[in-house]
Order: sequence, then structure tokens, then C-alpha cells
Amino acid sequence: MSVIDTVNNLLKIVSDGVAGLVEGILGPGLGADLITMGLGALVLCTIVALVFMGMTWAERKVVARIQNRVGPNQAGPFGLLQPIADGIKMFTKEDTTPASADRWVYNAAPLIIATFALVTFAVFPLAPGVVGTNLNIGVFFVIAVGSASTVAILMAGWGSNNKYSLLGAFRTVAQLVGYEVPMLLNVIPVILLAGSMGLADIVQRQTLADGNPGIPFILYLPLSALAFFIAGVAETGRSPFDLLEAESEIVAGFHVEYSGMKFALFMLGEYVNTLAVSIVFATLFLGGYAGPILPPYLWLALKTAGVFFVFMWLRGTLPRVRVDQLMSLNWKVLVPMSIVNIIAVMILAKLFVTSPGLQAANGGILVTPETQAAILFVANVAILLSGLAIVARRARVLRLAEEAEIESRREANRAAVSGFAGGAPAR
Amino acid sequence: MTISQVLFIVISLVVLGGGVMVVTARNLFHAALFLIVSFFGVTGLYVLLDAGFFAAAQFLVYIGAISILIIFAVMLTRGVQLAQPANSQWPAALVVSVIVFAIMALMLGPVAVTIGQRQFGSVSWPNVVEGQPAPAVPDDHLVRLGQSFVDFNQYGAAFLLTAVLILVAMVGAIWVARDRALKDVMEERAELAAEEAQEAMLAGPVQQPLPLAETRSAEAPAASVAHH
Amino acid sequence: MRTDFAFIGVMLVTAFLLMGVAVFAASLLRPRKPSPAKLETYECGMETVGDAWVQFRVQYYIFALIFVLFDVGGVLLFPFAVAFNVVPLYAVLVVTVFLGILMTALLYAWRRGALQWD
Repeated sequence: MSVIDTVNNLLKIVSDGVAGLVEGILGPGLGADLITMGLGALVLCTIVALVFMGMTWAERKVVARIQNRVGPNQAGPFGLLQPIADGIKMFTKEDTTPASADRWVYNAAPLIIATFALVTFAVFPLAPGVVGTNLNIGVFFVIAVGSASTVAILMAGWGSNNKYSLLGAFRTVAQLVGYEVPMLLNVIPVILLAGSMGLADIVQRQTLADGNPGIPFILYLPLSALAFFIAGVAETGRSPFDLLEAESEIVAGFHVEYSGMKFALFMLGEYVNTLAVSIVFATLFLGGYAGPILPPYLWLALKTAGVFFVFMWLRGTLPRVRVDQLMSLNWKVLVPMSIVNIIAVMILAKLFVTSPGLQAANGGILVTPETQAAILFVANVAILLSGLAIVARRARVLRLAEEAEIESRREANRAAVSGFAGGAPAR
Repeated sequence: MTISQVLFIVISLVVLGGGVMVVTARNLFHAALFLIVSFFGVTGLYVLLDAGFFAAAQFLVYIGAISILIIFAVMLTRGVQLAQPANSQWPAALVVSVIVFAIMALMLGPVAVTIGQRQFGSVSWPNVVEGQPAPAVPDDHLVRLGQSFVDFNQYGAAFLLTAVLILVAMVGAIWVARDRALKDVMEERAELAAEEAQEAMLAGPVQQPLPLAETRSAEAPAASVAHH
Repeated sequence: MRTDFAFIGVMLVTAFLLMGVAVFAASLLRPRKPSPAKLETYECGMETVGDAWVQFRVQYYIFALIFVLFDVGGVLLFPFAVAFNVVPLYAVLVVTVFLGILMTALLYAWRRGALQWD
């Protein structure tokens, strides 16, 4: 085995080696399996926690640069030790529980949110053959487990017995559950093309037979990718959809009453969810770990970092949306567009098939993958543009109506004022 | 006992324990949380049945969606913390539960009742031989499920009926909410009419030389009282 | 399948224990000097009036209900999507009808103003 192969398969070799070692010591059986899995889970959780620390640093640095600031620069070179300083602070900070809190609910909420955020990482393929468990329902599992955070948020809001917390929790949940629908709907075109929900299979579908990257699904389905990304931003409650922590309105949302380590767990949950959405996006639409020259896990890391950079970019650039805009965007734009998109993809993917076997089974026109990608791309863009055109026209109508109403009110006011004109001077 | 059996017993205890807590909790919010615990146990049961897709669907729909619906419904009620474990309807509830339990026990249990020509109860499951382990779930079960959804000899009609059911549920939900919305609309209209009348009075021959702002502020509390 | 999920069970337990250990370790390290003022709920410095556990608007409920309906609709599409390559052409029509009915439901809610947040 050459050096390059060794580097490329580093993760696989290490994990197989550890599994072999444990089995060698304990002998094959349930005990060895459990210990291997436990070690794997421990390593995975630790890596994710470390990445979380890196993410907080990166985000503060990047957003600072966008806003023409320097960001953390005191702890260590480039402020690199800032996350560690934050961690020490979180560990040693007094943790107050409001006297009127619902104790069990209050304490369980951060644990639940952090735990379920970490569990999703069990199914992400990090490199060929390196995956916690290759579930055949991979992407569906990730979305399902991600939905657990809504319950935890409601528990946090309720447990704090604070009006702002509960109000924030309700708002957040109304937002999160709403955006789960476009998330579900925009995964479906990918599954239609890949023919599987397993994340490893979806990566495989975007890889050529010789191991080189094929056409990533973002080129097949740009609309799905865009809608999925918007839904992902909203699902993780990040700017511009960060209504849950609109400081000016509801202090800090559902976690006002949390401090110390429990607050840190909420932050961890938020960032880990963001990381999970980034990885899912990279896997579904950017080809996952497939890539030339560099080792696969590095490719996945690069693609994930790229997606996360866009997250940070949005946070540094866009103002917060209003709650009614948020709901309208979801139900009146994303969901209808996604439904139309699914129908279009179904029809086109049945009409233009890429394998002779499929053509023999169901008919259709045999085309190369490139042509199929081009056809789907054009259809997606067409749906996106016509959807945007409808939205723009509707917005124009609404705006004109609003302006007319304001004008008529002004008229009325003027009339009312001129009513006084005969006597006292208008002021 | 195999590991599966141990897990089955543990998970069943979680499901049943959650269920018992739901009906005994005084705090409605806690009851809803215990219901979620119970749902989570059911997810585990699906996993033990080798039905991964259904486990995830159970998690997504019941824990991620229905429980939210239930909690929102709980928050709509008054006196969240003053729930009584029993009310005047408990005898009726007892009778109904006993009957339902008897039916289920008959269907699944070893006892069979013969009425006329037909035998009720003691169901024999297809493909299962007593004393043998159940046949493995085929690898392509998801594909088969998907095929059966669009096959009218299998679940095609049910699949489309589900969509109709969703439509009906949507209409029903909005119908229920409409009553309240209509009332709001009426109130708003009444307020607007009152305001217009006031403005018309102001715009007409000047009797009260009050500035607009003062009239408004004097009117506001009255309007808000009327609204509630 | 069951064995696939075994790792997820292990992961669930491991993650929960790790988080629990973090909270527990912090509870050993941190100072603990509660005072009545500190333990009050933080509502911008105003004195808290009553519980937060009050009635909420019906609109949240309607949104949750619409969400549940679309969630169920979306979940049902997943097995079909997996089987997409092996189903006959008319299946596309069936699913289009399914999606069309879902869309009708959405449009109905839209028309009735149920999607309007105010």
C-alpha cells in the first residue's frame, strides 16, 4: 500500500485497527462490539466538540472581518485560544436556577438538545467506509433526529417560568416546525435521483465509477439546493432568521434564564446543528467526500467549511427578517415552489433516463448524465425564476395597495385639518 | 433470554411507565412530556422490529410534530397545573378501556372465540412458524414499500386517500379556527365604524376644538376594553 | 437493521453521559452563592408578575396543525422516492395527484388567511 493510499484511508485504517485491537483483547463477541462502538462514539463526540470550539472562533473572526473589526486577538496567536478561555469561563461561572423554575424540565432541556444534536453525527460518511453506521434511511434519520430540538426548546421555555423565555420558545418552535416542511420536500428530488436515502449511497451516486467526482446534485437541482439551504439556515435559527434571540424584543429568547454550563450546552447544540446542516448540504448537493488528489475526509471538511462560511457571511451581512415575512417566505414561497419542483423533477427524470436498463424497463429517452443534469438545471432555474416573478408581482400589488391606503389616510387627515381652517390656524 | 428480549422488556416498561405518568400527572405540561417519553419508547419498538424507516417516521411525526401540537394545545387551556387525574366521566372511560383491551387481547392472544362459522382471535401471522425466529426483513423493503404506495392492487388508493384526508383535516382545522377569526373581524369592523363616526364628527362643523391626538388617546382605553 | 441502530443507541448514551458529565463537573467547579434577588426570573429588571404559564394564541396551534399535515405528506413521499427508478411511468401521475391535493390544501389555507401571521 502506497503512502498516498495510507493517507487517503487514514481514518479507515485507524478505526479498523482499534476495532481489531479491542477484539484481540476481549475476544469477538458482544462485549468487544459494545466497547468498539463506545470508543467510536466517544471519539466522534470529542471531535464534534472540538470542531464546535473551532467554529465559535472562526465565526467571531469572520464576522468581525466582515464588520471591519479584528475579533478575538488576545488569547493566543490570532485569538486561537479564545474558545478554551470561553470553555474555562463556562465551567467556572455560577449557574443560577430561577427559584420559580420547573426544575426537572429546566435541567433536562439543555442535555436533550445537545445529545440529539450529537446523535446525528452517527450516520455521516466521513470517508469511504468510515461512518458510524451506514443507515439505509440516512438523510431521513438526520431530519427526524433534528426535530427533537423543538421539544427541548419548549421544555427550556416552559421550565424557566419566564414570560420572555416562553414567548421566545413559542416563536422559535413555530419557525422551526414550519421550515421542516421545505427541508423534507427538498430532500426528495435528491432521493429521486439517487434512488436511496442512505448518505453513502447519495455520495456514491455523485461519484464516477473510477472514484473521481461526478456531477454534484447542486448542478442537477439548484432550486432544491437553494431552498434546502434557506430552510437549513432557518432550522438552525441563525441570522437572518434569528428571531428566537431578538434581543430587542424578547431579551434572548428561550435561554434567558440559563447560565454557565447549561448555556454552553445550548450554544453547543446550536453550532452542532449548524455543522450537521452544513455536512448534510455538502453530502447531498456537493458530492460529499468525493474529490481529486486530496484525501476524502479533507474534501468533506473543505466543503463543509465552505457551506459554513456562507452561513457566517449571511450572518455578517443580512438584517433580521420580520416574523410575518418569515412565515410568508416559508408557506407561500418555499413550500409551493418545492412541490412544483418535485413534480417537474419526477417527470423529467422519467422522460430522460441515463441507463439502458431503465429505458428498457420504463421507456424514456436515453441521454448522458451531463444532458440530464442540464435539462434538470434549466427546469429548476425556470421554476425558480417564474416563482420569483410571481412573488415580485404580488409584492408590488401589495405595496401599491399599502401606499394607496397611506395616501388616502393622509387625504383624510388633510380634510380633517382643513375642517379647522375656518377657525383656528392648522398646526 | 436474548438481548432483543431484554431490550423489548425495558422499552415496553418505558412505554407503559410513560403512559401511566401521562394519566396521573397533575401538571398538563408534564403529562405531555411523559407522552413524548412514551412515543420515544415506541420508536425503540420499531427499531427492534427492524423497521428503521418507521422508527424515524415515528420520531419525526410523533416527537417532532404531534407532541408540539399537543403542547400548543395544552398552552391553549387554562389551569395547566391544576389537572385532575379523574373527572366525572371515569366510569365510562373505564368501560371503554376494558372493552378495547379485551378486543386487542382477543385478537392477539392465544384465546379464540367462535361465533357461528367465524373464528375471532388467536391470529396466526403470515410467514411465522411457532418456535422459529421470524423471517428477516428483506433488504429492499423500502423499495417494495414505495412500489406498493403507487400500486392500486396494494396501497395506491390508500396513498391518495391519505392526501384527501390531509385536505379534509386542513379544511376542518381552518373551519374550527374560523369562528374566532370571524368574531375578530366583526369586532374590528365595529371599532372601525366607531372610529369613522368619530372622525366624521370631527371633520364636520367644528363643535369640539380638540386636537386629534387627544381624542384618540381618550378613545383608546375604551376601545381596548371592548376588544377583550 | 437492528445492528445498524445499535451504534445509534450507543451514541445516544455516550453523548448524554458526556453532556451530563460536563454539567456535573461544572457544578463542582463553579461558585454557588444564591441570593433571593439572583434567583428571580430575569424580565428586564421589572418585578415578575405571576407565572409565565398563561394562555397562548390559537394561531400557534393552527400553524402546528398545518405543519403536522405537511409533515405526514412529506414522510409518505420518501419510500416512493427510493423506489422511483423501479416504479412504472403512471406512478408519477399518482404522486402528482397526491402532491396536487396537498397543494390544494395549502391554497385553501392561504385563501382563508390561515397562513397570515399578524
